[in-house]
Amino acid sequence: MSASYAAVGWNKQKKIYDWLIACLCFIYLLLFISVTLIINEQATFETLLIRSTSTLAVLLLHIILAIGPLCRLNKKFLPLLYNRRHLGVTMFTFALVHGSFSLFQFHALSNTNPIISLFTSNTNFGSLAAFPFQVLGLFALIIFFLMAITSHDFWLHNLSPKVWKTLHMFVYLAYILVVMHVMLGVIQYENDPVFVIMIFAGAITLVILHLLAGSKERKLDNMKFALQREGFVYVCPVAEIEDSRAKIFYIDKERIAVYRHNNKLYAIHNVCKHQGGPLGEGKILDGCITCPWHGYQYLPHNGQSPPPFKEKVSTYDVKIIDGKVWLNPAPFAEGTERPGAEIK
Amino acid sequence: MIFVTIILIIVALYLLAGLVFAIPFMIKGVTVIDEGAHGSSWGFRIIIIPGVMVFWPFLLNKWLYASKMKRS
Ligand code: FES
Repeated sequence: MSASYAAVGWNKQKKIYDWLIACLCFIYLLLFISVTLIINEQATFETLLIRSTSTLAVLLLHIILAIGPLCRLNKKFLPLLYNRRHLGVTMFTFALVHGSFSLFQFHALSNTNPIISLFTSNTNFGSLAAFPFQVLGLFALIIFFLMAITSHDFWLHNLSPKVWKTLHMFVYLAYILVVMHVMLGVIQYENDPVFVIMIFAGAITLVILHLLAGSKERKLDNMKFALQREGFVYVCPVAEIEDSRAKIFYIDKERIAVYRHNNKLYAIHNVCKHQGGPLGEGKILDGCITCPWHGYQYLPHNGQSPPPFKEKVSTYDVKIIDGKVWLNPAPFAEGTERPGAEIK
Repeated sequence: MIFVTIILIIVALYLLAGLVFAIPFMIKGVTVIDEGAHGSSWGFRIIIIPGVMVFWPFLLNKWLYASKMKRS
C-alpha cells in the first residue's frame, strides 16, 4: 500500500511462494536435462540450456495466464494469485537466458552486431517454412521486459492503475508471439511434433479456461434486481451472506460487495485500489476487508485502508427488512463512513 | 541493415539518457513525485532503475510538474 516502498515486498507467505517457484524451476530443469541426455547423448551444453530455459519459460507463462481464470472459477486457487508477479519476473528471467544464449549461439559468431544479425540474417517474412521466428521471440521478450520492470507497486501508482493494467494486458499479445515463435521454430529445427502438440494443448486449455471464467462472470452481471424501494434494491436474504465474507452484486454497472462483520452488514465498492482485485471475494481479517489478490485492506464501515495507508473505496447504504438485504447503489464519496445494517 | 542500425542507435541513446536521468531521480526526484518513496530503501531505488531508463520522459515531466505545484 502507500507506506514506504521496499525493494521486494516479502512476507512469510510470499517467501513460501518464492521457495515453491524456485523448487518447481529446479526440478523442471533437472528433469528436462536428464530426459534430454537419456534420449540424445550428444546434446551440447548450449542446446540443453537454450531448450530447458525456453520450455520452462513457456510452462511458467501458461501457469501465469491460467491463474486469473482459475481464481474466478474457484476461490481455492487464490493463493496462486497472491504473488503472481514474482512468477512473472521468474518467467522473464528464464526467457531472457534463453534469448541471450540463442543470440550468442546463432548470431554472435559473425562480424555483424548480433542484434542487427537477428533482424537481417533471415528476411523470409513471406515464407512459413523459413519465417524468421526469432524476431517474434525478441518482440515477446521486449513485452515481458516492460512488464517485469514495471512490476513494482511504485509503477502501478505512478503510471496509474489504468495505464499499468493496459501495459500488462499486452501479455496476451506476447503469448501469441510466443506460440508463433515456438511453432515456426519447431517447423525449422524439429522432426518430433511433441512441442507443437504441447503448445497446442496449452493454448486450447487457456482459451477454455478464459471462456468458462467469462461466462461465469457474465451470469453474475446479468442478475436482475426487480424489487426497488426508495432507491434501495432487494438483493438477497441475510442468511446467504456468511460471517466475515461477502456477496457481490452488479447493479447500475457497478460491482458492490456486501460484507457481514460483527453481526452487521456493510457495503463497499468491489474494486480494489491496488490492481482492481474483487474485494467481495476476500474475507475479513483483523477487522479489515482483505483483498484476495495481494492483501490490501479496508475498514468495512468507511472503506478506508487502516493508517498509515491511504487507499479509499466508495461505500454504500445497506438495510435489512424482515431478513432481506436491501442495497442502495448510489455511491458515497470514497472513504465515507456508513453505519451499516444491524442483523437482529 | 542501415535502418536497423539507426533504430538500434536511437534506442541505445534513449536508454543511456535514461540512465543519466536515473541518478538525480534516485537521489531526489523519486521522493518529489511519490511520497511512498520517503524513507524507502536503496534496494527499492535500484530495482526501479530499468523502469526509469525506459519511462524517463514521463517521470521527468511528473517531477517538473510536482516541483511547480510545490512552489506555487
Ligand atoms: S488487487 Fe492487489 S491487493 Fe487488491
